[in-house]
Amino acid sequence: MSETAVSTGMNPDVDVKPPKQDSGRMKRIIKNRAIYMMILPGFLYFLIFKYIPMSGLVIAFQDYQAFLGVMNSPWVGFKHFERLFTEPMFFTILSNTLILFMMNLLFYFPVPIILALMLNEVRREVFKRFIQTMVYIPHFMSWVIIVSISFVMLSMDRGIINELLAMMGFEKINFLMSSDWFRPMYVLQVIWREAGWGTIIYLAAMAAIDPGLYEASRIDGASRFRQIWHITLPSIRSVIVVLLILKIGDVLELGFEHVYLLLNSMNREVAEIFDTYVYTAGLRQGQFSFSTAVGFFKSIIGLIMVMLANWLAKKAGEEGIY
Amino acid sequence: MKKTKASTVLAIVTALAVLAGCGGGGGSASGTKQQGSGAQGESDQPVAITIMANLHTPEVPSDKIEKLIEEKTNTKLEIQWVPDGTYDEKVNASFATGTLPQVTLLKNAASLINMRDAIRNGQFWEIGPYLQDYPNLSKLKPEVLKNTAVDGKIYAIYREVPLSRQGIIYRKDWADKLGLGAPTTIDEFYEMLKQFKENDPDGNGQNDTIPLTDRNDLVYGAFKTVSSWFGTPNNWGEKDGQLLPEFMFPEYVETMKFFKKLHQEGLINQDFPVTSKTDQQNLLTTGKAGVYIGAMGDVSSLEPKVLEINPDAELDVQNKIDGGPNGFGVWSVPGYGSVTLFPKTAIKTEEELKQVLSFVDQLMSPELANLIYWGIEGEHHTLEDGQVITTEDTKLWDREVKPYQVLQVGGPLTVEGFLEAKHTRPVKAKAEALIVENNDFLIEDPAAALDSKTYNEKGVQLQELIKDATYRFMLGDIDEDGFQAAVDNWLNSGGQQIIDEFNASNEASK
Repeated sequence: MSETAVSTGMNPDVDVKPPKQDSGRMKRIIKNRAIYMMILPGFLYFLIFKYIPMSGLVIAFQDYQAFLGVMNSPWVGFKHFERLFTEPMFFTILSNTLILFMMNLLFYFPVPIILALMLNEVRREVFKRFIQTMVYIPHFMSWVIIVSISFVMLSMDRGIINELLAMMGFEKINFLMSSDWFRPMYVLQVIWREAGWGTIIYLAAMAAIDPGLYEASRIDGASRFRQIWHITLPSIRSVIVVLLILKIGDVLELGFEHVYLLLNSMNREVAEIFDTYVYTAGLRQGQFSFSTAVGFFKSIIGLIMVMLANWLAKKAGEEGIY
Repeated sequence: MKKTKASTVLAIVTALAVLAGCGGGGGSASGTKQQGSGAQGESDQPVAITIMANLHTPEVPSDKIEKLIEEKTNTKLEIQWVPDGTYDEKVNASFATGTLPQVTLLKNAASLINMRDAIRNGQFWEIGPYLQDYPNLSKLKPEVLKNTAVDGKIYAIYREVPLSRQGIIYRKDWADKLGLGAPTTIDEFYEMLKQFKENDPDGNGQNDTIPLTDRNDLVYGAFKTVSSWFGTPNNWGEKDGQLLPEFMFPEYVETMKFFKKLHQEGLINQDFPVTSKTDQQNLLTTGKAGVYIGAMGDVSSLEPKVLEINPDAELDVQNKIDGGPNGFGVWSVPGYGSVTLFPKTAIKTEEELKQVLSFVDQLMSPELANLIYWGIEGEHHTLEDGQVITTEDTKLWDREVKPYQVLQVGGPLTVEGFLEAKHTRPVKAKAEALIVENNDFLIEDPAAALDSKTYNEKGVQLQELIKDATYRFMLGDIDEDGFQAAVDNWLNSGGQQIIDEFNASNEASK
């Protein structure tokens, strides 16, 4: 993609004289220095906050001791990875992480699309804006607040939901401490908080659709649903695919705060994920090397998933992300 | 068409990158504190001292007492307050990044155990040999210092706490109304809970009281104290000449069964495994619950809140509940509460260490010890017959005095001229008396001064297995076989090594 962008881009004479490409590139950079300057902050951001810290991963292969530092801590090879794979909790954590991710993908991912489609069909601009703002708001609440509110509502001791259930003659349900209810509760909270925010990009993509297409289809007698199916959805398809791939890359980013707040002794068997495990092992017990190894493993899985999704997207004739 | 698509995608990716940039990057330790040093030469120049301490109040404390300490010790203090709930994590993170301050508090014995490996690796100054040079620090009790020692060497100074503060706080007016006295056996205690549940003690005509209020803490909540009543050892116990963890004793299982019964019969708040301390106390102060098990001293902060809502309420305390074959017993801490360590990353030279120790020594002088613990006379307390009466204004107290109490070094047993309290509230006086009485019935932790490498490495994680199983048993999720399976899992995942190492360490120390 980048190659086509370059060759169809600004400086066709570069292609004409391939031997002098290097100096040509320099010239081009100098010529467009203002544009390159604009990239600089973003470039520095990724360099300083994302790439340089990655070097810290070496401690996953050491017995890191704070006072010895990275340079002097003893190397131990794959010891910490071996420990991870032989840990009795390992498969539970792995499957919990993957199941939560799948549920997220299945139940959360389509919601912003549906919501965006619905918002897109609203004719009264004022009403649309109002609803849009309302559905964004939860995104700005921290998980602490959201989880606290759910605790108050779902408590067995006078939680409003359980009181309602009791009033209607049902058994009270121990939502907070049940391994059956943890996953639905998690996904519902994610949807409640993020669905509105997730619509932004879809709405932007929908705004870019040529209105002429709609007009033409109306003339052909297409109903609202037909228009959504044949115009809106295909037009935002590439956006959906990109977001899907990125989402898959986040496979193991399930939100430490969120899960940690919901986690308790009663639902640990379904709720313990890599992030919470890293926290207990790493920060609470000071096992920095081990928790780095766990985090590293998690990232590798994430990378594999992205590459897989990207490859599939390309197979299906979409753009992919690289 | 293709090109526009590509550029849309690009735009989106950029937008996402920006969003991600805005969203990410939370957490991480706040900036490195500059450590003070280099002011050795001039004596009239205030010495800069950096401190990290746990904060027990929700608000940032006022610096009134801090200023007075600075004035009296000729120092410039920089105190980094960290909320108590996340204190250990903060210490670990600061340790990993080499940014611990000169005076580092650890909040309890468990935190100190976590630091053992680092201490052994020479990360902290060994202060044992210096203590005798200081008039006040030299008064710290050797037997308590020994409990904090690592491989027999002393690295920490300690703050005294009563050995056992555990007991019951209950609504005496409810008990009186139902014709119940203070419970003295487990059966009587159970009977009290049952009556509180069934006989409408608050007289509102509804069957809506929760007898016992507990929280998500197996140690400082109700569980461990009740387990003491049943005769469970404190963390570790001896069976057939071998040290074994408490949960391998039948008394521990008895305690779990008791809680399971309470939970099934609705005699305890149904959500106790996820109830916070604040919520737990609120249940009592708002008159929904009638019994609280924990530190009896809490009655002094609970009583005003209870009275605020219901002026007719009355709280009482009780400690001796007789359940085990050996009569009443109560678990104890090993003679110290928080400890203070002196990291070598922050204190570079012996010279500097002596300065810091001299500051800490001054904190233990009667004048400063009283200032730190009781605040300013006339403002935070008044004196009557040489005894302290603290202010009734709990908000003022929480803002200006209570946070600084963690800086206390030693305590009433080691500071000469440490003022005693005169309790204007009789129930507080009684609580203090019962705390002293507890000293005759202590169940001590035989492993307090022992060491296990495996425990240091993964003791906390392994303990989670037991904690989970204990809660699941109490809530009826698993039965005794299930609990035994968890114990077996604990043994196989390293527990057996912990047992062996503690026993070896025990043999070695004999």
